[in-house]
Amino acid sequence: MMPPSTNPSTKFTLSAVEGLRMTTVLALVLAAVLLAAGPSIVVTGQLLAYQDGFVFFTTGDGFRVAPGVVIHDAKTGGPTKLAPAPRMWARATFDATGTVTELDLSRAALPPEGNFDDVTRFAVAASSPAPNPDLLAYQNLATPGPGGGAPTSVSYSGKPVLVTFIVQVPPTTPLTASVYISTDQSAWNAQAIPMDRIDALHYSITRRYPSGTIFHYLYDRGSLQSEEIAQNGLSRAPRNFVVPDADVRTVSDTVSAWQDQVPGSINQQQPQIMPTPYNPAPFPNLPPGLPPPEPPQSHKPPPAR
Amino acid sequence: MLLVILASAVARAQSTPITVLYLNAKSINFYYDRFLLEADGNVRLRTSDGFTVTGDSFSMDLKLNRFLVAGHVTLQDRSGTVSGAAISDFLDFKRIYFVPVTSEPDRWTFLNGDLAHPAMGRVMPGDAFYFPPITTQPDMTGTGAVIGTKTYLRFIGAVAYVAGVGIPLGSNVISFSSNQYLAQNSLSGATADITWQVAGSPNALTALHLRYDPTYKLYGSVEQHFVGDHEYAILSVNPATRAEKWWNAMLYEKLGSRFQIQSFTQYYAQQNYLQLPRAAQQTTWINATYAFPHSYVTATSQLVNYNLLGPGSLEVPKPLGGSLAHPTFLQLTANSFQNKIAKLPLFENIYEGYGFAHDSVGSQYLNGFPGYWPGNGAFAPIPVPGLQAYGALCNVQPSKVYKYYCPVYTTIYNTVLGFNLFTPSLKLNQPESPYQQYYFNASFNKQRQWNSLPHYIDNTNTTLTVSRQFNRALHTYVGYEIQNIGDHYIDGGYEQCTQPHGQPTTFCPDSFTSFRGVATLRTASFGLNDTPTPDFNLSLLVRHHQDYPIPVPGLFAFPENNILGQPLYSWWLGQPPYDATADVRFKILPHTLADISRTLYWYGNPYRAQYWQQNFVIQLLPI
Repeated sequence: MMPPSTNPSTKFTLSAVEGLRMTTVLALVLAAVLLAAGPSIVVTGQLLAYQDGFVFFTTGDGFRVAPGVVIHDAKTGGPTKLAPAPRMWARATFDATGTVTELDLSRAALPPEGNFDDVTRFAVAASSPAPNPDLLAYQNLATPGPGGGAPTSVSYSGKPVLVTFIVQVPPTTPLTASVYISTDQSAWNAQAIPMDRIDALHYSITRRYPSGTIFHYLYDRGSLQSEEIAQNGLSRAPRNFVVPDADVRTVSDTVSAWQDQVPGSINQQQPQIMPTPYNPAPFPNLPPGLPPPEPPQSHKPPPAR
Repeated sequence: MLLVILASAVARAQSTPITVLYLNAKSINFYYDRFLLEADGNVRLRTSDGFTVTGDSFSMDLKLNRFLVAGHVTLQDRSGTVSGAAISDFLDFKRIYFVPVTSEPDRWTFLNGDLAHPAMGRVMPGDAFYFPPITTQPDMTGTGAVIGTKTYLRFIGAVAYVAGVGIPLGSNVISFSSNQYLAQNSLSGATADITWQVAGSPNALTALHLRYDPTYKLYGSVEQHFVGDHEYAILSVNPATRAEKWWNAMLYEKLGSRFQIQSFTQYYAQQNYLQLPRAAQQTTWINATYAFPHSYVTATSQLVNYNLLGPGSLEVPKPLGGSLAHPTFLQLTANSFQNKIAKLPLFENIYEGYGFAHDSVGSQYLNGFPGYWPGNGAFAPIPVPGLQAYGALCNVQPSKVYKYYCPVYTTIYNTVLGFNLFTPSLKLNQPESPYQQYYFNASFNKQRQWNSLPHYIDNTNTTLTVSRQFNRALHTYVGYEIQNIGDHYIDGGYEQCTQPHGQPTTFCPDSFTSFRGVATLRTASFGLNDTPTPDFNLSLLVRHHQDYPIPVPGLFAFPENNILGQPLYSWWLGQPPYDATADVRFKILPHTLADISRTLYWYGNPYRAQYWQQNFVIQLLPI
């Protein structure tokens, strides 16, 4: 049996290493204990999915869910029959390791609580984040802009914007004429947005639209037969307008001519223009109240002309 | 022309790169005010781009043209199947954002429809998986939907909700295309119209209408649209469920950037179902325009046949055809653009035209067939047609009260020359505040039409207004308008209205004794508009007319009203001396305005028999 070493230096060296290891282990244990006892993080958000041991929020982030996750009613704090599902709102409690330990559910939107930036680091993703040229090129664009493959450099918050349309009408517009805006937002109803006359040549209207609304529109005088036409007499393509992220916006347009007022033309007729026993006076300026042409009461043959 | 339009529309349908989505789910809801389509439960989505997605929930913003499927998602295409938590397709940008869940979640972006080679880990737009907040009840529900992106939505098993009451429709199409031609309408106005869009595609729309109007009461109509980027064809029959049927065809084609042609043809038939008609008439209106760099030329023609049944058709028992007349109009007009005159604050445009009217004031009005005159021959159909009387007195005068004129000139040629002058808004003062600014506008139109009858018609119209905006919401203006219409006959023309025994009578009142076909209408107006919020508007219009000949209640009645109960014309001979119109519009639903308008016509003191009349209109307007 070998006697214990009596080399003091050797003994000292061994003790120092063990002590260092013990210190490290103790420090790690202490750290783990401290972390485990650390404050949890709470955030609210809308659920995108709940599956495969993860909960996903509409940010697209997926978080690991603890095996014994507690699911409560967000309003009462008690048990609930709700099950996590898309569209549902949840108050999520994260432990220090980023695992969701509690979900408080609600069908209605919950008041904002916490900050998703504090838990983004816990989101699980197999791939490392890579820059997105679509977004980087346009300075943190939230959504690619409209109009084809290339995003524009503008983003929209969707906030309500007061938009005032002012249109200059042709000088031949009757002083009592009603002018309307017809838009694709109202299925091109010719009387969708009535405007108000402000002087001999101008009409205006103010409406509230969310920013980012893409607006195709035309001016008319209440019917598709009295729609505006281009200065060259041809039908014009609808005007385009994108509601900007501003508090107020004024849009000024000019109508060159109305389709039914092209000088010298015979106005495009409205449907049912022909005189019949049921529509005896289809032409304008005939004094009404006079006997209409009626079908004969007897079957007399017409006299020779 | 119809065939060309249909061919163009079909060609466009085949060439337009739209994506078609076929959606099935336990419940599909549509929200009209925001064009949102939301679905939950057993979502299955098949796309024309070649992949299929299943999941728990679906959300699509039809205007933004992007969709989201979330919860237990499977993505399947020819290359295989992948499971995930959510997928979002930004269709306009050819970007698909996917959160796959294999051993653990990830982020993949599919570029340009390439599902085999995802860009892994790419940062995604912050709102890629956003569910829009829903606070209202759905306007329509169903179990299946076909979505033609940016154009239409066809519901299967649709139930539409009106005031909370569900109406089962089966198939129903909602068009949200930016192509305005889909909204062209060949139907006449109606008091009420419930439209059921049965079938549709990006280039076609089939609609059934249930309508009511005072003439035909309750009836059904059918309308079919075919549209392309530069053309449309609208075909309809209205009413379709009455013996009196109007078959309509509205066609439009734009060829190149300088030429367009459009037509409207209407065929009237008195027939039970599709049996042999008892009466049949037709009118066709054609308009062609060619644009030059600084002007344009328009040719317009109207062709009417009052009887299509052929010889002898007027002699059958109970004939309704009425007349063999076939009025024909043709007008060729050149118009200049609006041009600024030197450096003056004045703009002008001129126009001139040539044309003819054949059989234009149909003989069916002026003499007809005495045996068929109403009242067992006591009354001829209609006497003098307004200001312009063609021809001379009939040889046989059937009435001692009315005078009847017979057409002598079957074809009248005309030459038209006219011009417009107008100012932009001119500032009248230089105040510190823009709300103290007064603006002045003036416009002047003069037109003369020489006719081969021979006579010429002068139209002169002068308008002057001064306006001011008092604050952001309140605008006012005062205006003065003079309209002068003169029908000058070289020979003959208007007969003097003589008063028997020197006493005014109903048929020959004061100023008509000197009336020779020249009328002058002067109108002073005061208008006010107040829009304190976008959801509320009040407008007031007060007018005073000083006309010659002096209006006589009962002699010149109001013009016919349109279907909304408003006069068809803004001015007419015999307007009451005063009128006032108040109009209030306010929002009653998120997508609906109520418009209440009331007009009072005040005849003043000289005509004690009738002091005032009123007109009351309530409209509901979609916004």
